[in-house]
Amino acid sequence: MSLSTAPIVAATLRPGNWAFRLALLLALAGVAVLAGAVAALLAFGIGIWGNNIPHVWGFDLIAYAWWIGIANAASLFAAVLVLRRHGLRTAVNRFAEAVALAAVLAAALYPILHLGRPWLFAWTIPYPATTRLWPQFGSPLVWDFWGIMAHVVVTSLFWFIGLIPDLATLRDRAATEGRLALARAYGIFALGWRGSVRHWHRHQAAYRLVAALVLPLLLSAQTVVALEFATTLVPAWHQAWLPVQVVVTGLPSGLGVVLAMAAVLRLALSLQRFIDDADMDLLARLLACAALAAGAAYAHALLTGLVLEDAETRAALAARIVGAGAPAHWGAVLLAVLLPQLLWRRGLRRRAAVVIPVGLLAAAGVWLDRWSLVVDGLLRERLPFPAVPYAPSPAEWALLGGSAALFAAALLLFGRAIPVVAIFEIRHEETLAEAAEEER
Amino acid sequence: MLSDSAGRRDLLLMGASLALAAAGCDGPDEHGHPLPARARGQAAEAASFATVLDLEGLGRGVLARTRAGHAVKLEGNPQHPASLGATDLFAEAAVLSLYDPERSRRIRHAGAPCPAAELDAALAAVRPALLASQGRGLRLLTGPVASPTLARLIAELLAACPEARWHQHDPLADDAALAGALAAFGEPVAVLPDLARAQAVLCLGADPLGPGPAQARQARDWSRGRRAGRAAGRLPRLFVAEASPSLTGARADRRIPLHPAEAEEFARAVAAALGLPGLARGGTHPEAAGIAAALREAGPAGLVLAGRGQPPAVHALAQAINQALGAPGTALRLTAPPLARPEPMAASLAALTAAMAAGAVTHLLVLGANPVAEAPAALGFAAALRRVEFTLHAGPWLDETAERCRWHVPLPHPLEAWGDSRAFCGTPAIRQPVTRPLAEAARGEAELLGALLGTPLPAREAVAATWRAAWGEAGFEARWEAALEAGIAGDPAPAIAPALRPDWDRPGETGPAPAGLVAHFAPDPGLGTEARNAWLQEMPRPLTGLAWGNAALLDPLTAATLGLAPGDEAELTLDGRTVLAACWPLPGQAPGCVTLPLGGDRQAGGAVGSGRGFDANRLRSADGAWMAPGLRVRATGRRAALVSTGAPHRPDTGGAVPRLRPGETLPPVAPGASLHPAWAYEGRAWAMAIDLDACIGCNACALACQAENNVPVVGPEELARGRGMHWLRVDRYDAPAPEPAAASFQPVPCMHCEQAPCEPVCPVNATVHDQEGLNVMVHARCVGTRTCSNNCPYKVRRFNWNDHRPALDTPRRNPEVPLRPRGVMEKCTYCSHRITAARTQAGLEGRALRDGEVETACQRACPTQAITFGDLNAPGSAVAALRQDGRGYALLGHLGTRPRTTYLAPVVPAAPA
Repeated sequence: MSLSTAPIVAATLRPGNWAFRLALLLALAGVAVLAGAVAALLAFGIGIWGNNIPHVWGFDLIAYAWWIGIANAASLFAAVLVLRRHGLRTAVNRFAEAVALAAVLAAALYPILHLGRPWLFAWTIPYPATTRLWPQFGSPLVWDFWGIMAHVVVTSLFWFIGLIPDLATLRDRAATEGRLALARAYGIFALGWRGSVRHWHRHQAAYRLVAALVLPLLLSAQTVVALEFATTLVPAWHQAWLPVQVVVTGLPSGLGVVLAMAAVLRLALSLQRFIDDADMDLLARLLACAALAAGAAYAHALLTGLVLEDAETRAALAARIVGAGAPAHWGAVLLAVLLPQLLWRRGLRRRAAVVIPVGLLAAAGVWLDRWSLVVDGLLRERLPFPAVPYAPSPAEWALLGGSAALFAAALLLFGRAIPVVAIFEIRHEETLAEAAEEER
Repeated sequence: MLSDSAGRRDLLLMGASLALAAAGCDGPDEHGHPLPARARGQAAEAASFATVLDLEGLGRGVLARTRAGHAVKLEGNPQHPASLGATDLFAEAAVLSLYDPERSRRIRHAGAPCPAAELDAALAAVRPALLASQGRGLRLLTGPVASPTLARLIAELLAACPEARWHQHDPLADDAALAGALAAFGEPVAVLPDLARAQAVLCLGADPLGPGPAQARQARDWSRGRRAGRAAGRLPRLFVAEASPSLTGARADRRIPLHPAEAEEFARAVAAALGLPGLARGGTHPEAAGIAAALREAGPAGLVLAGRGQPPAVHALAQAINQALGAPGTALRLTAPPLARPEPMAASLAALTAAMAAGAVTHLLVLGANPVAEAPAALGFAAALRRVEFTLHAGPWLDETAERCRWHVPLPHPLEAWGDSRAFCGTPAIRQPVTRPLAEAARGEAELLGALLGTPLPAREAVAATWRAAWGEAGFEARWEAALEAGIAGDPAPAIAPALRPDWDRPGETGPAPAGLVAHFAPDPGLGTEARNAWLQEMPRPLTGLAWGNAALLDPLTAATLGLAPGDEAELTLDGRTVLAACWPLPGQAPGCVTLPLGGDRQAGGAVGSGRGFDANRLRSADGAWMAPGLRVRATGRRAALVSTGAPHRPDTGGAVPRLRPGETLPPVAPGASLHPAWAYEGRAWAMAIDLDACIGCNACALACQAENNVPVVGPEELARGRGMHWLRVDRYDAPAPEPAAASFQPVPCMHCEQAPCEPVCPVNATVHDQEGLNVMVHARCVGTRTCSNNCPYKVRRFNWNDHRPALDTPRRNPEVPLRPRGVMEKCTYCSHRITAARTQAGLEGRALRDGEVETACQRACPTQAITFGDLNAPGSAVAALRQDGRGYALLGHLGTRPRTTYLAPVVPAAPA
């Protein structure tokens, strides 16, 4: 059997069909909503949101932690595939990386936009200012700046380095077709790739090095987000285990989105042969596994939080888990832990009609978990401060929907401009297969 | 997403600032009429004037601080007996009304502005006819008048026009107290309690610590009594029997929720247990014996106070018990009433209304009253007003009465007018303008009366004439200057010793308690005449937590029976009159009694005051009775627009206020463990101690803070969203069972923690520690991450969700405190600008700062001196001594934040008395 890479390249180079155009149009309309929400935010300030004292954070931090979680799980998945030289990487690691990058971009909006005076965000960056004032390095928000910056840089590098050989292929195909301007554009980003053995050697070394860099990043970015909460005196947040909890419960969202994306791409771009049933199978089982891990994290929180902690913390966590915060918490457990368990059944995980909703609902479940942390974590404060419950405003919904549209638009454009699965990896598999045949 | 009303208010306030910028940038030297008042400050740039403000017709002395000629902040006048240096809510808020952009500024005829000359012509035209007919058909309606000048001019008018009549109206007047005094003594008598000396006090619906013209003084006396009692190991005892929770009830040793119909029976039971001679009928109540024993034990230091809304018989009983205890001279003083002519005001207004309706009134002058809005709707004053040919209303606003009168004359604000006044104890004081008039056309009552008398005199001359007559010509100028300087113009009224009439006890009609619910009308601070004041509207009422409106208050059981949750709308029906109101269950409310706060839902209350809450006057009967049986309450199934800042019942789940039994002490305040290195404080270490045993929850501190620090008003929509900006909030904690009604109040400013949790989490160093231990907020550096608020366990940080600067940037703003832009955090600074000012002053004088020299705004306002501020490192400073007190504790001290603000725990009786 021989796999041709032609359809992948064709999918990239040919003009999009009506479905693609419609999807892109919808996504761009969503991006316009985002632009409107951002403009309104800058003009009128955070007063247009539903925040108050004590709920100084709401949708902003929920969405931030959620997008970071998606990015993390997606890059974790891609990096593990690269490092283990796993067969699955041929099919899915490229768009796992793309999902990670788009999610990081969506996440990176929030640390800036959630500020009361976003135009001064640069003050969190250490630079020799004329004020001779440096950021406060003890603040988790400064760590967060490093966390998100490192995430953006490493995720982009990981994605870009993996892309270089394919960009060269596209350059060559475009040149063959006589589209010289396009060939030049691809050529710039291909960095003069000629496919020599030395190129391949260095590429592999660099790719694996960056993949190894991704791993600590996953812990760091989510951990820093979690530390923004864990270092405060709020009883439901002030927990040493919160970073682990946030990292682990973030996994189902990223894997769920990657799984759903894979299923959609298979259908939309007729790539069933490149992302085959075995790939989908593996991915689905990974999601089910991550959901189990998240379940373990929740069980741990129940045990330590409700049994072992001091009375103040127990009361706060009880309010979050079984009190007024129960809907969000148990909604998260249902969607992000229990629902993915369906995927242990082979029949179900092969069906797009099952994996797409399960993957997306797992992501929604993790969003509920972040709500439970950010909003319901404040149900019980140290003092019975007369708090008004947090209620998100339309402007916040617009920002959330808009950032999802930005994510979708980035993925759609990515699907048009560059190969959705790694051509060189498939070629590599072809070569391996040929070699095996020859040996036989 | 600005709401309509918020946007409209901002526009109005902005308009005002423009108008003022055009008119008022000059100092008082360029006044329309010169100010002889001596400035108390160092320079005219920052001067202070002693003057007096009225509440319910009675004066409280204030010092008005001006900056560049603009009145900025009011503080208590230490020399004035009704203030002793402290303020109340209304005194603090008065300065905002001065700059109210909706104040009436034009003389109006038939609603249209007209020149002053037309008014003069009209008055000149009616004068001969009135004098010719001896004033037949002329009626004068005022609020309660204690002002000697106004009383003199009215007397002159009545002398010139013997057929004319003078009526007084005050919606809060307690006519039954007058009737009770007449029954007991045959003459009107004012009861002045001395809570500093009283050892056992029984309040029968009386609220001496609650809002009123004597609140600051009585609260001070009460706290002095408690302080002395704690030192002597024998705390004075306070018993309160009342229908609806009050500030006094909250601090009572024993509080008895008492249905209004049982009040007389209860009072008789106490009197019978005391063996009162001349008692026409006894009574029984299970609590009576214990209270009577305490009163008997206290003897002359025992005191019974009957309050607003009690029947005359209860007032007479209280007077008789006090006489029997020998209280006059010890626990109380009896004097002649401070009002110029004490009279039953409801009857006075009813007589006027009847005369108007009968067509017997041709000319009506309404001076500084608003009967259309404030009298019971059932009286039909507005309808009767239409029958009067010549009507003139003088008032600070174009209110409901102004809209219905032919002529309207704007009254000057008390801070820009000459006048005089008497305090609750009879002490006279002269009011002087502290700023040039912001409404040029405004005329005072004295000027109007003078014009009508044909002896037009400027207000200053009219006041001077009164006092010239009283003091004589010799040495008048010196005495006048001294009176302006001191803010008082004489001594309190002398004590009188009226004899108890033998037939003092005239029992009210008896009968079983009426079935069903009883309506209990009550004043509401923040509504009524003060409804246009946004500071008062937004200040949560201490016992309900409601702001920007009112609600019918029910006991939780009755509310549950009627199916009413907090904030549900109900239809209230009384004698066929109906009104829709929000409901609020209130722990401690007497079962079967619904409290209806007066003064809501104003029709012409302006952008701030119109349509807030419901108007209980629509239910009140024509005779102005304080209670009425037969109230029907029906849930409508709708929710009412109610702004509350907390649940009705607030248990102390966080251990915020430990309650000590007498003699108990707490472990000393010790710095908790911390991973962060401790700061060294080589110089000063500012600290605050708040005595919760003295705090009565009056909110004067919170309002003083708002005025001092340019704290914005956010409006009802934003307040309901939890975005109130008060830097200092007063938390209430209900006592645990079995005393569900008594509460503790806890003012919570910034704690200025030595290990402040807000500081290490700020990414940009916007909140930092200074060398004297202040936790400083650098607004210019703040980028608005709000993470400091997350990490503040006391939740005292406030965020500028919106830009409040346009509404604040008026001449009222305190120029020493910057306005904060949108998107930054702000919080209590310990009034650091006052620290700086005091330090500068001490430096100029080449001396060290004295203990107590720096007074924070909240400390200065506090009537009970519960707040102490100073330098912990200074040997012998008051605050350092309080740190060592056995009642001292740090709020959430176990968190290791090492707060600089510490508390002194309240003391509660050893066992339920």
